[in-house]
Amino acid sequence: MAASYKKLILNGIFSENPVFRLALSLCPAVAVTTSVRNGFLMGVAVLCVMTMVNITVSILRNLINPKVRIPAYILIIATYVSITEMMMRAYSRTAYKQMGLYIQLIVVFAIIISRAELFASRNKVLPSAADGFGMGLGFLGALVLVGAVRELIGKGSIAGFHITASSPLLIMVLPTGGFFVIGLLMGLFNWIDQRYYGGRPGGGGGGHH
Amino acid sequence: MNSKDIIKITLNLVAICAVAGVILSVVWAVTNPVRLEKKAEELRAAQKALVPQAQNITEALKFVSAGGKEGVIYKATADGKTVGYIIKAYAKGYSSFIEMLVAVDIDYRIIGIQILSEQETPGLGAEMEKKWFKDQFRGKTEDHLIVMKGETKTDIQAISGATISSRAVTNGVKAAVDALRAERAKDRAL
Repeated sequence: MAASYKKLILNGIFSENPVFRLALSLCPAVAVTTSVRNGFLMGVAVLCVMTMVNITVSILRNLINPKVRIPAYILIIATYVSITEMMMRAYSRTAYKQMGLYIQLIVVFAIIISRAELFASRNKVLPSAADGFGMGLGFLGALVLVGAVRELIGKGSIAGFHITASSPLLIMVLPTGGFFVIGLLMGLFNWIDQRYYGGRPGGGGGGHH
Repeated sequence: MNSKDIIKITLNLVAICAVAGVILSVVWAVTNPVRLEKKAEELRAAQKALVPQAQNITEALKFVSAGGKEGVIYKATADGKTVGYIIKAYAKGYSSFIEMLVAVDIDYRIIGIQILSEQETPGLGAEMEKKWFKDQFRGKTEDHLIVMKGETKTDIQAISGATISSRAVTNGVKAAVDALRAERAKDRAL
């Protein structure tokens, strides 16, 4: 089973990328990706929360009554999100000032509860951790990528470093631009998939389960 | 569902809530002092930036600001003379209370303002922390603390898309100056 951990992680990054393949949690993906920095911060927060939630749900999977599993998962997610928020407030003030509002919203991200329900509640701790980590990395990568494209075209900079003198196309940092970029990147992902992998999902080896 | 099930389900949720509560209390107890200390540090830095010539900035008195929140008047002195006042005040914005610092000289002319915290519409509200908006207040007296849509040299130009927030900040600055005036009328030593 050892090799399958790599498979599980890669699965989240490419073949079941939360944003480009599963099309989950698109709302935050549009809202926060106005720059590389914002996308990165949000991605890291989600990565941590997701890995911890998957581990916890997996440990408790036999103790939680199926009738109340959804409220139980929400409580677990809310606890980790609150911890993340309190930590940011104390140790990362500037990031908190920019992201504070969105950090609280992680509680309702579809991708997190869907992984808890579809994967962690049915699998052992380590595979669940790998799944959460992979999905988190996939989400992080997607947010950074979308953020980079929007920041470059919208503000003419990458991660705060100016490349062009003025802002080329301001609409790209507005929500409209978010939809454009995500749609086009999703298309690109699908095209690569069809062209090089015969339409079968699976970049680094994955496939549906 | 029988009664045994109901008890089981209840216990399940109670247990999760209890554990979550304990964990959150511990994290709060550890992080809150750090947060408060960092906040105080930010306040000192912001005050220093507003009135750089001040040698001493001391808390003079507290007053009630918008929403019943606690406003503070700080006195800035240099060589034993008062060079200005810094007022920490709140203003009711579009979706939050905006916390800000207003620095004025002894003639109630605005030296500058600083936004400490806000939770206004993301992307638009943040514009109020930009230099161009804050710099508009410099040198203004109360008569010119009026928000205008469109360009203005004499008054305060609203942030497009965030008129309510712009108005809130401006009215907040005005209220802060009024509070200082009222307190000074009561206490000449201030």
